[in-house]
Amino acid sequence: MVGETLIPTLLTIAWLLPLLGFAVEMLYGRKGERTTTKWPAWCAVACIGTGFLCSLIALLTWGQATGWAVLESHDLHGPDQHHSEDDPHHHGDSPKHQASTNESGWQMTALTATENSDDAEHVPFPSVYSGTLYTLGVFGSLVVSIDYYIDSLTLVMFTMVTLIATCIHLFAMGYMSDELTNEYVDHFAHTSDGKHVHRPGRFYRFFAYMSLFCFSMLGLVLAGNIFQVFVFWELVGICSYLLIGFYTERKSAGDAANKAFIMNRIGDFGFLIGLMVVWTWFGTFQFSELFDSLPRDATGHIVTNDLGEVAVSTHSGESRSIPYSLLVVAGLGVFAGCIGKSAQFPLQTWLPDAMEGPTPVSALVHSATMVAAGVYLVGRFYPMFVPEVLLTIAYIGAITLFLAATIAVVATDIKRVLAYSTISQLGYMMLGLGVFGWAAGLFHLITHAFFKSLMFLCSGSVIHGCHHEQEMPKMGGLMRKMPITAGTMLIGVIAISGLAVPGLIAFSGYHSKDAIVATALAFIQANPAHFLLFLLPLLTAGITAFYMFRLWFYTFFGEPRDQHIYDHAHESPWIMTAPLLVLAVFAAGCAIGGEKGMLYMMLLGSEPVHVANGVPAATVGELVLPGHSAIHDVHAKAGMWALLAAISGTLLAYVLYGTKTVNLSDMKRQLAGIHQFLSEKWYFDELYHALFMKPVHQVAALFAWIDRTMIDRVVHASAGLMVKISKWDRFFDETFVDGLVNLIARATFSSGILLKAVQTGRLRQYVMFIVVGVVALFAVLFTTFPN
Amino acid sequence: MFSQLIQNLIDDTLKYSLGYFEAELWLCATIVALLLFRLISVDRLIPTSILALTGAIVATVVAWFQLTTTDGSETFFTGMLIHDQFSVYFRLFLSLFLALTIALTILTGIPDNEDSPDFYALLLGATVGMMIMATANNLLMLFIGVEMASVPSYAMVGFLKGRRASSEAALKYVVYGAGAAGVMLYGISLIAGMLGTGDMSLLADRLRIVADNGVAGLGDPEVRLVALGTMLVMVGLAFKLSLVPFHFWCPDAFEGASAEVGGFLSVASKAGAFGLLVRFLVAFSGDPSGAELMTAFGIGLGVVAMVTMTFGNLAAYGQSNIKRMLAYSTIAHAGYMLMAVSAMLVMQNSAHAGDLGQEINACLGGLLYYLAVYLFMNLGAFAVVALIRNYTFSEEIDSYAGLIRQSPALCVCMVFCMISLVGIPPFGGFFAKLMIFGSVYKAGDFHWSMYVLLAVGIVNTVISLFYYLRVLKTMIIYDRPADARAVRLPNLENVYVGLLGAFVLLLGCAPFIADGLNVIAGEAAGSIFSAIVTSR
Amino acid sequence: MATKRNAIGILMGVELVLNGANVNLVAFSHYTTLGIDGQIYSLFVIVLAAAEAAVALAIALNFYNNHLTIDVDRANRLKG
Repeated sequence: MVGETLIPTLLTIAWLLPLLGFAVEMLYGRKGERTTTKWPAWCAVACIGTGFLCSLIALLTWGQATGWAVLESHDLHGPDQHHSEDDPHHHGDSPKHQASTNESGWQMTALTATENSDDAEHVPFPSVYSGTLYTLGVFGSLVVSIDYYIDSLTLVMFTMVTLIATCIHLFAMGYMSDELTNEYVDHFAHTSDGKHVHRPGRFYRFFAYMSLFCFSMLGLVLAGNIFQVFVFWELVGICSYLLIGFYTERKSAGDAANKAFIMNRIGDFGFLIGLMVVWTWFGTFQFSELFDSLPRDATGHIVTNDLGEVAVSTHSGESRSIPYSLLVVAGLGVFAGCIGKSAQFPLQTWLPDAMEGPTPVSALVHSATMVAAGVYLVGRFYPMFVPEVLLTIAYIGAITLFLAATIAVVATDIKRVLAYSTISQLGYMMLGLGVFGWAAGLFHLITHAFFKSLMFLCSGSVIHGCHHEQEMPKMGGLMRKMPITAGTMLIGVIAISGLAVPGLIAFSGYHSKDAIVATALAFIQANPAHFLLFLLPLLTAGITAFYMFRLWFYTFFGEPRDQHIYDHAHESPWIMTAPLLVLAVFAAGCAIGGEKGMLYMMLLGSEPVHVANGVPAATVGELVLPGHSAIHDVHAKAGMWALLAAISGTLLAYVLYGTKTVNLSDMKRQLAGIHQFLSEKWYFDELYHALFMKPVHQVAALFAWIDRTMIDRVVHASAGLMVKISKWDRFFDETFVDGLVNLIARATFSSGILLKAVQTGRLRQYVMFIVVGVVALFAVLFTTFPN
Repeated sequence: MFSQLIQNLIDDTLKYSLGYFEAELWLCATIVALLLFRLISVDRLIPTSILALTGAIVATVVAWFQLTTTDGSETFFTGMLIHDQFSVYFRLFLSLFLALTIALTILTGIPDNEDSPDFYALLLGATVGMMIMATANNLLMLFIGVEMASVPSYAMVGFLKGRRASSEAALKYVVYGAGAAGVMLYGISLIAGMLGTGDMSLLADRLRIVADNGVAGLGDPEVRLVALGTMLVMVGLAFKLSLVPFHFWCPDAFEGASAEVGGFLSVASKAGAFGLLVRFLVAFSGDPSGAELMTAFGIGLGVVAMVTMTFGNLAAYGQSNIKRMLAYSTIAHAGYMLMAVSAMLVMQNSAHAGDLGQEINACLGGLLYYLAVYLFMNLGAFAVVALIRNYTFSEEIDSYAGLIRQSPALCVCMVFCMISLVGIPPFGGFFAKLMIFGSVYKAGDFHWSMYVLLAVGIVNTVISLFYYLRVLKTMIIYDRPADARAVRLPNLENVYVGLLGAFVLLLGCAPFIADGLNVIAGEAAGSIFSAIVTSR
Repeated sequence: MATKRNAIGILMGVELVLNGANVNLVAFSHYTTLGIDGQIYSLFVIVLAAAEAAVALAIALNFYNNHLTIDVDRANRLKG
């Protein structure tokens, strides 16, 4: 099949091109006209743009190779058949046959995944291409290699990342243009004498970092083993660190970069533990081998024996028993990494601070791609998660989404609002994955990437237009000055809020959020004890609509609050608005068709095989994981609730910020306690400070005291002793050792001088020495040699 | 009958012997050409130095081909000379060295146009003499070779005609040399008379006959005379090798002669003399009756080696003239090299000589390797001296202060050569010294005095470090005085010293070159012990 | 050879040493198996001695040119 070689090749090219770009920009970006040339940007755009084309071709090839089977099968039947949940025989049928028997579409997509090798033989196309690009090393049974694992999720992610990255690169070319100088004045950084920092522009360096990031991110998505994921995981972390700290002269930027890095290290520690468990017990890092090795019965349960151990057949053919608890540890460990990367509770505090980086960075790294990598990894590693881990994921997601949304309500910095919104939306995705809505969570990942990067770019456009003013209370009425930005922003706001006219028009966010809320509803219907998992996202849907419209009204609507800023505001140049328009189109339309649409169906194609039917409870009190049909039953109801919440949030925002009927400062005064609590971000920073920083400082102080008073004293005493000894030693050295050495040296030298005296220069004496020498030698010969 | 004899002789010479003598013949032809060209004034068209260089290179090439084709050993010129790998090794070594020396004289321009045919004729003639020394198979050829090498050397030392030092050096050299030659000739006459032959390949047999098939002891007056004669011959060779106590000419001659001549004499005449010494001693060895006597000579040589290197190293301390210092350095190095000969004699005349072929070979191989490395490092040092003299007109060590800032290539070459002379890795000198010390260590199994010799050799290596480093310290650490004459070398001269320095380095750290030389040296060493095929 | 101060005298001493060896060789040629070889040796030695003497005289002349004397005790600049 063409795709077998073509698709990996294309994606590898798309993956490696940005690395080439990085090398070129880093090495040659400085040369020539130094910092005032734009070609590094064009170089980066060319790399990532070509990458996008490659991804797109790969996607189309994939569709061609599979005959767009995923899409067709859906169109042929109604959504309400779900009678064959426990009928494994049908899995072997071809899609056409399935369709004609009016089989459930979910069933069909489920069997296209090849995790179940039994079914794979009958599947008309492979839904996974996996293989090895390069083997780095073999350590016993462990093979460390660069692999690829390509399914429809990989392809969609590739296309999404490259498309958004291309748009953002273009936007950044305009946004970063003030770096195109040899004498950049940083108004936010001061030298010790209170002046602004002057430095050469770092235009080329920005794009080099961006290219490196694209390379790392694509590598992460392409990775075919969990260790490779970890490597690129760290690489994107480094890029994030570099880009957050792009304005290194600003202390806040440096602190934020450190914070992001350290917070991520905490999560990565868990990730490493997970990796160790996986390696020790499964003996492989390969996704395909890992997924094959975990046994599940027909209902989707992981098979355990009497001792609570899981019999695993490793890729090398041997079977071994793994304690069930270790699976939990492995899952929680990997998820800990995802918590850090995706800024989930309790490691969420780094992301708002990360907004210190340039706005395109926030758009690309800290909303659309890198932070979504955590969600992606949860999705990728999904078959390895046991229900307990999933429940943890769901709760973490629920807490995060609510927490972040409430903080976003009171934030005034336009980028921070968006940052909290990002955390909240990532929480939605985690929740969706946690309540067994695999496709729903990743669906939201894709749609969110589009509308959130759009909104960040819009905010970037606003900030650019208002000369680096980020405080919303100083804006207002900007719609008249920057209509394109305001319009595209509105599309993004509507999309994230989930507003729609059902059946008529709906933007992407409506579909994806609906899917998550519906899954959550189905989940709590089956497990009523966990009702919060539905209540929180529903409530937050309203809050989301509220704070997003608050942002839009604050910024673009009404009268200008700061006349000076308003007067100088201007619409951004085309190179910045064009990406906005492109992204707006995708934000509005990428999810067209909702759960019957192309995007969702593509994602379903990669869904782990046990997800579709749900997992019934094996014993009383255990979790029931809802299948597609259960979710579909409640879809309309959940959608209605969510829409209602969104509309009420929107209306409230309009009343408060769109009209002038309510005095905001009065309200703020009345709700001072809550406002304070929220605007201090639930005191998380303080909590961490008290919980971790302070104890560490105190312990450190204690140790320092011990050091000073006890250890130092001992050290000083021994040092004093050593000094005394060495004084004696020195005396000994100087008088005896040196004396001996000098004596020998003097002796040799004087003997040399003495021997010089033998060479008198008198010829007659020389000749005499011949005679004397001969006679002497002869005498010696005769006296020493026996007869 | 007489005409038949003449005819045989002519046939033998033309068809057979001249082929083995090809390298020497090319040098002789070059000498003739040099002298003739001046007669007919062709030397104005072709610089004589180029002609001499061409001759030397041709001889090198011829010797190289001989190296690849020679197998076993044969005598030629009715048994007067011997042809084997050992001879060819020295031929190659000497002609290569000759070419390098001529190249150096071209760079420094030491013989002026008027004198250059004379100078090169002397140089080439001396080289031919040294080649004969290394190929001698008869006591007469031994003497002729030494004289052929010495007489032109006397003239070359005195070649700076107007210089008092030069004439004084030449006078001392010639008188000392003539005296030593007289002593040696007396020794030859005693050996030839007592043993009744001049053919060196027969000496060991004849000694056994003289000793009446018993052990040759000094109680027997005939053996006593042979021992005396052998010792006198060795005194003559010791003069050429500048072994203590027959070294007196060496510092004076080197100081008075130009550095180029000094470099030539220090390497070439020493190499020829070592070749001859080895041949002479091997001729006496290998027979049980003479074993005890030759072991005694071996130990005696060991003692001489100890005294020589200690004297050379110590006396080099206080020198202020670099040529004089290098002269003492060559004395010390002759001592190091003599260690190998001493070890060889002790092993070859021990009771287990039959089992020791490998080790005895290693002794000689080490000596030959040492000579090859010594060629590059000593010539390098003398070349640096000669080149600097052309700019500063001084050969005092103090005048070298801070040269690194003006002529780094020269100083780097000097550093390589000096450190190699001390014997510090990774330079060739280290491995050469290691091989010789290793052989001496093995010889220690057969006589305890070899351990003493080894210890003295190691101590001397340490001692020698200081005076070499003194020169380097002056060159590198001190500042160049403002009034000192600038030394800025043209590229060609930098390339020349760079080449020598590179070889010193490569012989130490480029395995294929070092190994290749080692193999060649080993083969050459082995050939000297192989059975001789007598003339056809 | 070792006692003369005059360079020519020393060279004459050298000739005497060589001639002593020559006499030896000729004598041995008569009394031992060396035979005719010894006489040929001595012939060669005579020739070489002549060559050597020529060079030595030239060097002595050169010395005289530089020092205006052939007293070898004046050749004492190079020492130590």
